Amino acid sequence: MKILLVTVLGFLCLNIFSKDYEYEVIAEDLSSPWGIAMIDDNNILFTELSGQLRRIKDGVLQKNNISGVPDVLFAGQGGLSGIILDPNFQDNNIIYIAFSSPDKGKKTNTLEVISADLVNDSLENVKTIFKASPSRITAAHYGARMAFLDDGTLLITSGDGFNYREEAQDLDNHYGKVIRINTDGSIPSDNPYINQEGALPEIYSYGHRNMQGIVVANGVIYENEHGPMGGDELNVVQAKKNYGWPAITYGRDYSGAMISPFTENDGMEQPIKYWVPSIAPSGMTFYNSDLFPEWKGNLFISALVPGDVRRIAIENSNFTEEEILFADLGRVRDIVTSPNGTLVLATDGPGGKLVRVQPK
Amino acid sequence: MFIKSLYLTLSIIFATVLVVLQTTLSNIFWLSSVDMPISVGVFFNTFFGDLMGMNFGGAIPLAGLIGVGMLIAYSVTKIILIWVNAKKSFAYGLAGAATILALVLLMPLAFYNLDLIAGARTALGKTILILCGFLSGYYFGSKIEDKE
Repeated sequence: MKILLVTVLGFLCLNIFSKDYEYEVIAEDLSSPWGIAMIDDNNILFTELSGQLRRIKDGVLQKNNISGVPDVLFAGQGGLSGIILDPNFQDNNIIYIAFSSPDKGKKTNTLEVISADLVNDSLENVKTIFKASPSRITAAHYGARMAFLDDGTLLITSGDGFNYREEAQDLDNHYGKVIRINTDGSIPSDNPYINQEGALPEIYSYGHRNMQGIVVANGVIYENEHGPMGGDELNVVQAKKNYGWPAITYGRDYSGAMISPFTENDGMEQPIKYWVPSIAPSGMTFYNSDLFPEWKGNLFISALVPGDVRRIAIENSNFTEEEILFADLGRVRDIVTSPNGTLVLATDGPGGKLVRVQPK
Repeated sequence: MFIKSLYLTLSIIFATVLVVLQTTLSNIFWLSSVDMPISVGVFFNTFFGDLMGMNFGGAIPLAGLIGVGMLIAYSVTKIILIWVNAKKSFAYGLAGAATILALVLLMPLAFYNLDLIAGARTALGKTILILCGFLSGYYFGSKIEDKE
């Protein structure tokens, strides 16, 4: 009887804990992979923080980097960062890249976004379409992720620069803002602050910290951001809303000091989910495929601490459930969904990998 | 020796409390400027929260950092005072100021220009913190002078 019981329990445990997915390493020994863009299932562009734009062609990592990439400031958290394909990439071959850009002859730098035509293995017709203002002396908190709204305008996350956190509450600068521009760098005529004196017209929302994940799903903008010690957030971003940083926060400063004794205030938005202690959210994708039907309609957030991916179930843009996945991969820097429904992750740091998660 | 150690400890505590107070005040002033509901109770809660957090909840205990700095600076000052005839309170005041100066200048060098002590992000903030260091050193020096 005992043997039967143990056998049945063992079988149940195996079923509960067995994974119905497996990993495939697509590329390894990478130099801090940061942003991934899927051209199709086997053709991938990705950035390395140290300044390289690289390509996987027909499933094979190309030895030569893509040329024509602008000089980047590779220091601290700065470098070649976010990448996104134009919604009409198959026709126009245009890509957008966000990076930390050194100011000429100065000891300052800033977040810059370029558009470029990808022609064979080089970037041509490179144009700056956004440059955050003012520049900073720090090499941290750039944001540097992008997403397209359904109307074709481009959202860019612009971090608070660490030393400049209070500026996130002012509208005369780009620190701690979600930016909305047209793909040629012009300002959409319906931007929320376009007619407000003293406000920069590119601003879409404000009061953010270091936003490293942004996706648009069913018309809803989801954005995640690093808090300090604790207080990482998942927000639903709406035009002209104030997300409170640093006047309200669930985190503390790295020194241990309080940044604010307040976690809420009138006129400031609450996250739909926050994490204390921090998970260091670093990328995000909305899963809308039938390949893993149980994950359909969920957000996936890559996390650096302790290193895993968070599956976030949402209902009517509200958080309902969290599951920790892929905790055996180490720090995960970015996550995207491939057209065939597999997930592609980038593990962080020197020696990083691109890993595909697919059904067994 | 015991008395000197006590004065050294008090000097470190004095500097730590002043640095924490400066951090709290710089945050509270800004929060007040954006119309957050600051009251006396909020101030004291924040101050005691900072005092505990910066010494027991942060990456490095502030008192430990200041203590190591002051121990080095005071030792160097003691050696210099063998040859240089200067008022001890003033000399140790300078040593205390140098401790905090090193702290606010070296930290950003180590962390890509990031000021990890929030109150040290402005020139005024740095100046006030250095003054806190001077006052702590001055206290230590004047107590040593009194004893001698």
